[in-house]
Amino acid sequence: MNTSTHPVAHEEVMAFLDGELSTAQAQSVFDHMQHCADCSNLAEQLGETQRQLAAWQLESPTPATEAKIQEAAGKLSPRPQGFASILVQKVFWTFPWKPILAFAFLGIALLALSPSGNMRHESVFEGYVPSDRSPRIGASKSASSGGVARGANQMALKAIPPAGANDSLLDLATAGKRTRGADSNAFAYSNRVAGGGGDEVSEDRSPAPVAAPIHQPMIARSVSLTIVTKNFASARASLEAILARHHGYAAQLSASTAENAPRSITASLRVSTNELAATLAELKSLGHVETESQSGEEVTQQHTDLVARLKNSRETEHRLQAILLQRTGKIADVLAVEEEISRVRGEIEEMEAEQKSLEHRVDFATIELRVSEEYKAQLDNSSPAASIRIHNSLVAGYKNAAETLLGFVLFFAESGPTLLIWLVILLVPVWLLVRRFRRAAAAF
Amino acid sequence: MQDALPAFVLRSEASSTAMNDSPANPQTNAEAHTSSTERQYADHFSDEKLMLAFSQGSADAFSQLFSRYKQPLFGFFRRRLADSSHAEELTQETFLVLLRSASRYQPRALFRTYLYAIAFNMLRAHRRKAVFRATFFGTRRATQDPTAHDSPDANLAIREALAKLESTEREILLLREFEQLSYAEIADLLRLPVNTVRSRLFRARLALRDILKGAAAKAAAATFTESEEQV
Repeated sequence: MNTSTHPVAHEEVMAFLDGELSTAQAQSVFDHMQHCADCSNLAEQLGETQRQLAAWQLESPTPATEAKIQEAAGKLSPRPQGFASILVQKVFWTFPWKPILAFAFLGIALLALSPSGNMRHESVFEGYVPSDRSPRIGASKSASSGGVARGANQMALKAIPPAGANDSLLDLATAGKRTRGADSNAFAYSNRVAGGGGDEVSEDRSPAPVAAPIHQPMIARSVSLTIVTKNFASARASLEAILARHHGYAAQLSASTAENAPRSITASLRVSTNELAATLAELKSLGHVETESQSGEEVTQQHTDLVARLKNSRETEHRLQAILLQRTGKIADVLAVEEEISRVRGEIEEMEAEQKSLEHRVDFATIELRVSEEYKAQLDNSSPAASIRIHNSLVAGYKNAAETLLGFVLFFAESGPTLLIWLVILLVPVWLLVRRFRRAAAAF
Repeated sequence: MQDALPAFVLRSEASSTAMNDSPANPQTNAEAHTSSTERQYADHFSDEKLMLAFSQGSADAFSQLFSRYKQPLFGFFRRRLADSSHAEELTQETFLVLLRSASRYQPRALFRTYLYAIAFNMLRAHRRKAVFRATFFGTRRATQDPTAHDSPDANLAIREALAKLESTEREILLLREFEQLSYAEIADLLRLPVNTVRSRLFRARLALRDILKGAAAKAAAATFTESEEQV
C-alpha cells in the first residue's frame, strides 16, 4: 500500500496512535479512519499487540539495592556550587574543545610535514682568503719577523688611533707586543730564526740563540663583535677591504642569505695584533655594534717553558751528534745513538710547531664577527604564478601517489608470502572466534 | 486530540496499564511518601527541576527522583537482561553515575532522556563485556532465575517473541512501549533519523503481531490436542 492507492500510510496510523502527528495531520488521519476499515483494523491490531505487551509484569528491585543506592546518594550528594565551580563548569564543560584540539592537531601535523624552511647558505668554507690577500699575508708574515718587523711595528705604532675605554686591555697587549718587536726583541728574533730558518739550524747543527728573559707578557687576543648594518652588500665589500688593508684574513666565513629573512655573515677573522685596534675601529664603522667582548689569554709562562724545553732538546741533540762523531763502538751502540737522535729531533720539531702556533696566536688576534642585516620585511612578488604552483603540486601529488602505490606493491611483493602463511595459520582460530562472537552477541 | 480519541491513542492505555512502572504520573508515586518536603517536590517540580535542585545539593530532590525512576529503570534493564541480579546491578550503577555526574548536569533535554541515555550506555558496556567473556571464556548465557517473578507463561511468550525481532527494531519497540520515549527521543538515543525510527517501529510492531498470533495459534492447537487426547 502507498499514498497513491491509499491516502494515509499505515505508518501514519501508527504515528497517530502514538500521538506523534501534528494536530492537522492527526485530524486528517482520524477523519480517514472513520470510514476506512483497513486502517481501523490495523489500529485494532496494534492496540491488541500492545495489550499483550502490557501483560509483561516485572518484579521490583530488592530493598537491598534501594538501600545501597540511598546510602551512595548520601555520600555522593553534590555540594552547593560556588561561583568558581560554576564558572569552570560553564566554561570548561561547554567549551568546544574538540574542534579546537582537532585544528591544533592539524596545524601541528602540517608544520611537521612542511619543508624545513628555505634557508640556504651561500658559502661556507674554511681558510677564506680574499683574492688579493696572498701577497699581503706574506707581507704580514715578513713584517712580523726580524728587522722588518721592527720597521713595521714602528709604523703600526704611529697608525694606532687613541685608545677608547673599551680598548685599554687591547692597548696594553699591543704595547707589549710593540715593545717586544721594536726593542731588543731577542725572543722574537730567536722565533724567526727557529721558525723561518729551520733549515739553517738543521744544517749547521748549532744551538739556536737563547731567548732573552721576557719582561712583557705574551697575550693571545680574541674579540667577539656583533654588528647590525643597514646596507649589507656594502658592509660585506667593506669587510674584505678592511681585511686587505690591515693584512688580515678570514679563517672561516659563512654567509646566510635566506629569503624573507635578514642576511648575515659569520666570520672568524685573524689580524695582526698591531693592527687589531685599527681593524676593530673600521669594523665598528660598518654599522651599529650590538655586542662586543674582548678577552686576552696570557701564554707567557707556556711560551717560556716551551722555549726552555726546546733549548734543552737542542743541546741534547748536539751532544748526541758529538758522541756519534767522536766515539767509536759497536754497531748496536751506534744505532742506538742514531735512534735517540731521531727521537730528540722529532720532539724538537713538535715543540717548534707548537711554538709557532703559540706565537701566531699572539701575533694574530682573532675576531669572531657577526654582521647581520637590519631587515625590513617586504611583500614577495617573486613567487610563481598560481597556475604554475597548481601544476607543480599536481605533479608532486602524482609522484607521491605513484611512490605510495609502488611502495605498497613492493611491500606485498616482499612480505606477501609470509603474510599469506600467517593468514592460513590464523584463519581457522579467527573464524572460530568470530563464530563464537556472533553467537554470543546474538545471545546478549 | 487525545481526549477526543481515547480508543485509539496507545499512550493513554500504556500509562494506565502496562506502564505501571512509568514515571508518567509522578503524583501517584509521591503519595507513597510521607515526607512533606518530598510531597512538595512531587507536587510542584518537574524531573528537570528536581535534578537541578539535586545538583545544587538537595538530597530530597534525589530521593524524589529515585522514587520516580527506580522501577522504570529496573524495568528497562530487566526486560533486556535475562538475569535479575544483573538488572539490579546496572540499576544501581546507573544511579551512581547519575550521582557522580549531577554537578555537570545541564537541562538541555528531558531528564528522562538523559537518564535513559546513561542507562543505555551502561547496558551497551555490559553487553560488550558479556560478549567478550562468552567469546573468549565460553561463559554461557545466564539462565532464568527460577525465583524471579518473570516466570508466568505470558511473560515467557513475550520474551521469546521479542527475541525473534531484529535487535535494533526490538530496542526501538521496547523504548517506545515501555520507556514511552517519543520518536525524536529514540532517534536521539540510538543516533538514527526520526523517519527510520518510525518505519522500524512499524515493522517491529507488525512482526511482533505476527509472531504473537503464530504463538497463540500454536498454543491453541496444543490445547486442542491435549483435550482430544484426554477425551
